[in-house]
Amino acid sequence: MKKRIVALILLVAMVLGVVGCGKPSSSPAPTGSDNPNPSTDPGEQITLTFWSYEDETTAKLMAEKFMAKHPNIKVETYIIQDMSTDLSAAASSGTFPDVFEGTDSDTALANMYWLDISQYFDADPENKNLMKTVTEYGIGCFDTKARYAVPMMFWPSAVFIDRNVIEKLNLKMPRTDWTWAEMISLIKAATVDDRSGMKYYGLGYYNRLDSLYGIAACANAERAIKGEFGFNGEDFDLQYWAIGEQEFSDLKLNGYVAPQQETQEMEDWSGDWNTWFGATGHVAVFSEGSWTFQDLWNQAGYQEQYGLDIVPYVTPNVVNEKEHNVIANMYMGGVSTSCKHPAEAYELLKFMGWGVDGWNARLDIYEDMSIVNDSGIALKHSHMPYPLTLDEGIWTRFKKLFPQDEDHAKYWNDYFSSIVRPVPYGWYSIAGYWNFCDQYFNNIGIHDLVDQGKAKAADYVLEATERANYYHAEAMISYFGPDGYNILTADELAKFKAVVDAAAK
Amino acid sequence: MSNEKKQKKPKVKPGRLEKREARMGYLFVAPWLIGVFVFLLYPLGQSFRYMWYNIRITPVETKFIWYGTKNFSQIWLENAEFPQGLVTYVWQTLVEVPIIVVFALIIAIMLNGKIKMRAFFRLLFFLPVIIVSGPVMNMLVSEGAATIPAMNVQSIISAFGMFLPQSVAESVGKIFSNMIMILWYSGVQILIFLSALQKVDPALYEAAKIDGGSGWECFWKITLPTIKPMVMLNAIYTVIFMSGNEQNELINMIKNAMFSGTKEKGYGYASAMAWMYSVIVTLVVLLFFLLLGSKKDKYDREFKRRMRRRRRQERLQIRIQRRSERNARKFANDIRRNKYKTNDGSNPDY
Repeated sequence: MKKRIVALILLVAMVLGVVGCGKPSSSPAPTGSDNPNPSTDPGEQITLTFWSYEDETTAKLMAEKFMAKHPNIKVETYIIQDMSTDLSAAASSGTFPDVFEGTDSDTALANMYWLDISQYFDADPENKNLMKTVTEYGIGCFDTKARYAVPMMFWPSAVFIDRNVIEKLNLKMPRTDWTWAEMISLIKAATVDDRSGMKYYGLGYYNRLDSLYGIAACANAERAIKGEFGFNGEDFDLQYWAIGEQEFSDLKLNGYVAPQQETQEMEDWSGDWNTWFGATGHVAVFSEGSWTFQDLWNQAGYQEQYGLDIVPYVTPNVVNEKEHNVIANMYMGGVSTSCKHPAEAYELLKFMGWGVDGWNARLDIYEDMSIVNDSGIALKHSHMPYPLTLDEGIWTRFKKLFPQDEDHAKYWNDYFSSIVRPVPYGWYSIAGYWNFCDQYFNNIGIHDLVDQGKAKAADYVLEATERANYYHAEAMISYFGPDGYNILTADELAKFKAVVDAAAK
Repeated sequence: MSNEKKQKKPKVKPGRLEKREARMGYLFVAPWLIGVFVFLLYPLGQSFRYMWYNIRITPVETKFIWYGTKNFSQIWLENAEFPQGLVTYVWQTLVEVPIIVVFALIIAIMLNGKIKMRAFFRLLFFLPVIIVSGPVMNMLVSEGAATIPAMNVQSIISAFGMFLPQSVAESVGKIFSNMIMILWYSGVQILIFLSALQKVDPALYEAAKIDGGSGWECFWKITLPTIKPMVMLNAIYTVIFMSGNEQNELINMIKNAMFSGTKEKGYGYASAMAWMYSVIVTLVVLLFFLLLGSKKDKYDREFKRRMRRRRRQERLQIRIQRRSERNARKFANDIRRNKYKTNDGSNPDY
């Protein structure tokens, strides 16, 4: 009897386990384009799931503020650890979020995660006051007529200068509307090794200079560069990238660039393997993500501790155009194809991303330094994004989160006015970009080869341009052709097929 | 005797007790059977099907696009990491498995001896088995716990590089840099060897000692031949363990491909990778099986050879006997018909 009970318990546990692992039954949900007017009755209680890369505390507080505005909507938040893994697992198990933020657009497009939200976006008057490149370059449309995503979290690239280093080296601070050539001159002048102590380096980098150069390389009249590698919305031209790549490589090879963290070079230079060049007081210019300022340098006592005086600079322009594009990190957000309430989901997306209401709520959170996350850090120091809206009220409040004393205000104001034409990195906005990098560019290891002086960037221009065009065309067919969203016209399809066929030959 | 064997066993209807016992048996085995079907056979069949497709899992449906052998060609032609990873895997397995097995054997022999705090040391050597499972090991490896800080791996690579190709020297260096982790993989193997060592008949050692056998001779003549099947078992266990654990780069590559959302990758691509990998793992297991598979002893082999020869002779005898009978019948018929002729053409008169 005892044996039988044990066996039965084992069997039941097994069956329950198997059933528990199974996929919950879910009927296919209508897509937004099929169902333009959702049938959510006013007052009907609905639940929306929102997956993002936000600070967890910020996401929860923002969700609470949204729910306060929309009492009939319950928002459940989740912080994405790895986009591909989390989303593909969710798609397999039928628990896909209603609204999500992605860092890799190829993944979202290849698997049709994003719903066409053109009707909601185009009908929203608030979107006319976004940074111009969003609509002008169709960021989030992926060179189609439909809009699948909108930039949610935005961090422009930045060049920072340590004023203390410039002063110590008896150099002159450059003008704030400097050019590329002036930046390179400063980097070279600020590299000093007098053998009496730690060497001074001209440049410490997080963003490679070729990425900055590739976007700001030429005047719009010559080629309107809408993305990395000289992408103009139709095809690539890597000659602009190659100049920047070679220039950056030459700087590295000639000792103008500070060593990276956790390298032997860093240990030789600073005496500590773990030192970060931004905390040495011996680097003049930094090509950093803009978040570095709030997350590190602007924390109480940080600059005093390391003897720094960091100010932001406009990403220099190559052709001396007053208003030019700057490369930026732009996490794309969208409504999922499985969402049953796309209109409400769009409102949530906008609130969490670029909307004025959302940003006012966000600024309330950031201005209150008593609100901290689980690590005890005030939320403005935890990966705070920049507003994508041009709303003056928002920007007035946002600027106050940065140093506004007499010494620093001008630098910050000039910097803020220079970032109004952001262009996202390729993986956010160009179909097939990741395939190109994964299967060609990084596969060959072009950055390493050029950086080590084993090859010249110019040698790759023709081949890389041809491969980039091939991967883009192939992705466009795959994502938007008959096997995907199926929105390409016969002419468009034929055009992309011709590129693929030509490359195959 | 042979006729007796051919006779069918009389059918006996199983009694109630026997039936109940059989039911209980099936009931106990049922969880395992369900597990095999649901978590092994079904996914195996599914992945075999998947590898011929490009699979896109959208939030509303799963799209299967027929790819044929395209997944395979893409892996070999466009994925530089996978073929390289396979080569590294084979090389590392061939080198690391003997290291682990020999280390486990040495430790097991030591733990089998009469030493103080024997139970504590046995526990100590089994502890890594608990630690290496799961993300704890990943954390330890990322913190550098798998390396010996005092060991200058670069010097070892340079030394080997003087007489080996650079790629081989680097692989050897990698083994040294992961030395602690390799040794940590030995917990289960030590346990298996320990149980085998405890089953060796002490009378054999006693007899050997009386005949003047040293400890060294006892090890080679008694211990090793007795536990030889366990050496093979441990080697195969180690191959399987190393091929499927979380530190294995190929497993991570397959996992990443599975969850990769890019249009080429996904479940189909990962399935193709997994099947190719499993073929290679099977070949490596087969290699160790052939190298370490227990061969019968000399007496046994001689006995079997003689038995084979005897059977062959018996068959020959039967053939000769049949032929003689056939010839005798033919001879009798020829004589009866008066057709029999001698070699010179004469017709003898019988």
